[in-house]
Parts: sequence; C-alpha cells; structure tokens
Amino acid sequence: MIRSLRRHGHALADALRRMGAQPVASLLSIVVLGVAIALPVVAAVMLKSVAATTASFDTEPHVNVYLALDAGDADAKRVGDTLRSSPDVTGVRFIPRAEALAELQTTTHLAELLGSLDKNPLPDAFTVRMRTTDGARIGAARAAWSALPKVDQVVADFEWSDRLARWARFGERVVIGIAVLLGGAVAFIVAHLIRLQVLTQREEIEVSQLIGATAGDVRRPFLYHGALQGLLAGATAWGLAAAVAAWLSAELLALTPTYAAELKVVFLTPIERLALVGGAAALGLLGAWLAVSRELRRFATDR
Amino acid sequence: MIRFSSVAKRYPGGLEALRGVSLEVGDGEMVAITGHSGAGKSTLLRLAAGIERASSGSVVVNGQNLGAMHETALAVLRRRVGFVFQDHKLLYDRSAYENVALPLRIAGFARDEAARRVRAALDKVGLLAREKAMPVALSGGEQQRLCIARAIVNRPMILVADEPTGNLDADYARAIIDLFASFHQVGVTVVLATHDEASLARLGCRRVALAAGLLAQGGSA
Repeated sequence: MIRSLRRHGHALADALRRMGAQPVASLLSIVVLGVAIALPVVAAVMLKSVAATTASFDTEPHVNVYLALDAGDADAKRVGDTLRSSPDVTGVRFIPRAEALAELQTTTHLAELLGSLDKNPLPDAFTVRMRTTDGARIGAARAAWSALPKVDQVVADFEWSDRLARWARFGERVVIGIAVLLGGAVAFIVAHLIRLQVLTQREEIEVSQLIGATAGDVRRPFLYHGALQGLLAGATAWGLAAAVAAWLSAELLALTPTYAAELKVVFLTPIERLALVGGAAALGLLGAWLAVSRELRRFATDR
Repeated sequence: MIRFSSVAKRYPGGLEALRGVSLEVGDGEMVAITGHSGAGKSTLLRLAAGIERASSGSVVVNGQNLGAMHETALAVLRRRVGFVFQDHKLLYDRSAYENVALPLRIAGFARDEAARRVRAALDKVGLLAREKAMPVALSGGEQQRLCIARAIVNRPMILVADEPTGNLDADYARAIIDLFASFHQVGVTVVLATHDEASLARLGCRRVALAAGLLAQGGSA
C-alpha cells in the first residue's frame, strides 16, 4: 500500500519534472487548452445570465381582459363570473385600477409622471390563467370575451414566451455542441502532446519495461501529466471566463436602470467551477490514456 | 529453480531460435551458456528472465510457469531477476546513480532506502566515486559494471547476464567474472551466456552448450 502510494508520488513528481523541464512549452499548451475550454464556458455563462433575467418574466399562458374606463363594480363582477365559467380557465385575478396604478408607480420610473395626472388613466383588468396554449382555442375565447359588455380590450400576448423558451433551448444546444467539440479538441490536443512525450522517452520506457515496469507503471506519470495539464487548463479557463464576465458585467449593470428587469452576468456557482476544473482534468486524463495506450501497443508490436 | 521443458521459440519471419530445449538450473547454481553467435543463448536468457515468452513448451521459474502468467505478473517477476544486457541498455541522459536507482523507483522504494541500496550496489562494482557521471563519460568496462549494479540493486534471486565480458579487455573481463562469482557465493542463482573461454575457465561452473537452437551439452544439474 505504502509502496503503491509512493509510486503515485514518483509519477506525480515525474509529471511535474517534465512540465518544469519545458516551462514555456507547458505554459503555452495550458493557455491554448484554457482558451479552448473558456469559449463554451463564456457562452454558458451568457446563456445562464439570459435565463436568469427571463426567469422573472411571466411566461405562463394568460390573457389580460381590460374593462372600459366607465365600467362599474357590477360590470366587473359580471365579466369576472363569465370568465370563471369558461372551461379553459384555471384562475382569474381581478386587478382594480387603483392597484394597477400603485404597482406601476413602484415598479417603473414613471412615478413622477403618473403622480402629476389628474385622474387614474388605467382601467380595471382581469388576468386570466389559461389551461391551454392552443392558439385556436385561446383565439375563440378572446373573441367571445371581447364581445362582452364593458370589455374594452382582450390581449393574449404570451406566444413570445414560447418563442423565448425555444430560443433558450436552441442556445443550450449551441453551447452543448460547442462544448462537446472543444472538449474533444482538448482531449486530442493533450493526447498529441503526451504522445510526443512518450515518443521522446521511448528508450526509457523500453528499458523500464525490461527491468520490471508494468504497463501501469509506464502509463502513470503520463496520466498525471495529462491530468495536470487539464487541471491547469481548467483553472485558466475559469480565470479567463471570470475576467470576461466581469468585463461584460460592468457594461450590463449600467443598462439596468433603462429596463424594468435586472440585467446582470450570472457566473458559475462553486460546484460548477469545481466541475469545470475537474472535467478539464478528466479530459486531460482521457487524452493521456488514449495516447499512452496506443503508443505502448505500438512499442509491443515493434518488439 | 529454473526449468525449461521442450522449449521452442520462433520469431515472426520464421526464425527458430530454440528447438525443444530442456534444461534445469538449481537454486544458487551458476551456469554458463555457451555457443556460437545465433545459437540461441540470448533467447534462452530472455525466456528465463520473462522478457519473452516461449512459442511452445514451458519455462518455470521458482515454481511459476511464465507462459501462463499475465503481463503484469511477468513484469513484477522481472523485478526479482537481475538482467545484465549485452548492449547495457543504460539511459544516457541520466547519471550513473539515476540509472541504478531506476529499478528501485519502479518498485516504489523510499528515497532514503533507495539511496542506501544504490550506493551499496555502486560500491560493490567499484563505481561509487562515479555516481554523478553520465554513462557516456564511463569506459566500456565501467558501463558494464554500471549495468551489473542496476541488475543487483534490487537484490535479485536470479542474475542473468548476456555476454557480460564481450568487447572488454582481459583485465576488465576478469573483474566482471569475479563479480559474478561473488554473487554466486552468496547464494544468487547466476546464468550467463558467454563464448569467452578464459571467462569460462575462471568461473569453473557447469556449462550448457547450444548449437543452432538445440541443446548440445549439459541440460541437467
């Protein structure tokens, strides 16, 4: 057990020695890998930020029914009863005009303007939650409710949320596609670098095998080398992505007062950061494994 | 003990290096394998050390049938067999010390224990003062002794040497042969291949002669 741990210690020391022996080449490799990993990470951060912003939007299917400005309480009760009796409706919320005005004053920067008006320009309204997203059925309900007395306008404007969700899914797929492609590239770049290392140390490998090194003994330092390269590249990608996120965040925060929604860059959580670095190390390990296994098979065939 | 039973070795391309060789080497025995170039001496040694596998027949070392062993187990067995290669197989970008330390590093020895053993092995072959030298700075005889130090550093149960005195002048050759005799005296099984008559006379051990892959003389202890 102790000897086995010591072998791992030797292998790790070997890997560090190899990296230290060519510091510039090692650094360049790590930066190239880090940039490759950072690209999908930045894209994922942007997608996550958009998702966080749009999460505050109300995307459930609903219809807003606005009453005429001269509608009274009896009219509102009658219209509300009609809406609730519809089989496609799951809930009806009445928003009195005074409440609507108060909400508008607190959630926008129009308070001063609204306060200067002589009378409330907003009508009483109903927000009607629908059971269906079927356009034909909602269209029929909208037409029927528009014909009700004292109903001024019926708005069913939620198709944008469905489109938004589709764009979000499309964005996710783009990010996953880029991540898979660049992840594969990282594994192959590491494999190529490790393969060159194996070839330059072919003599040492062959002598080691003659005097008792197992395939595992030969493979171990290269695996540590690949994993270390991946680990450092993952950490580099984290740093690069964080720098890009901070750069974008400053500009985005300046835009927030212009819009009702809060706009901000949402960076990776601690777990996601660990997964990023661990995943990059795993890719490095995979690349090294592929390269060493292939070269060892070739050496055995040559013998 | 090493036992060869009807061992044949054919290489890709059809070269038949050994044909039906049966041979026993007892524990602590010293045996010299003789024969002309191409007789199969090196192949026999490589089979005994688990570096190659027999095409047919069986090679048993200390009760273990090498043909039935997994590659990893065979590699572990090689740690207990010291092999002195004809072409030294030294690492020319490593110092004498690092070359000798290599088997201990593979076996996972602690740094202090490895240093103690490496220095003892270098001392045994008379190279302690050259531990920092690179192999290219050593003479042919010193390189051969360095190779012997690497072979004995792991305290092997069996020491195998392929033409250890080849290309050495008489004085160096005598010193090398005396080294092997000293290992034999402390109970190590020694199998060496040579066609140097002076060395054979000095060793005074059992001879096994090979000719064209066949056993010509001295198959049993």
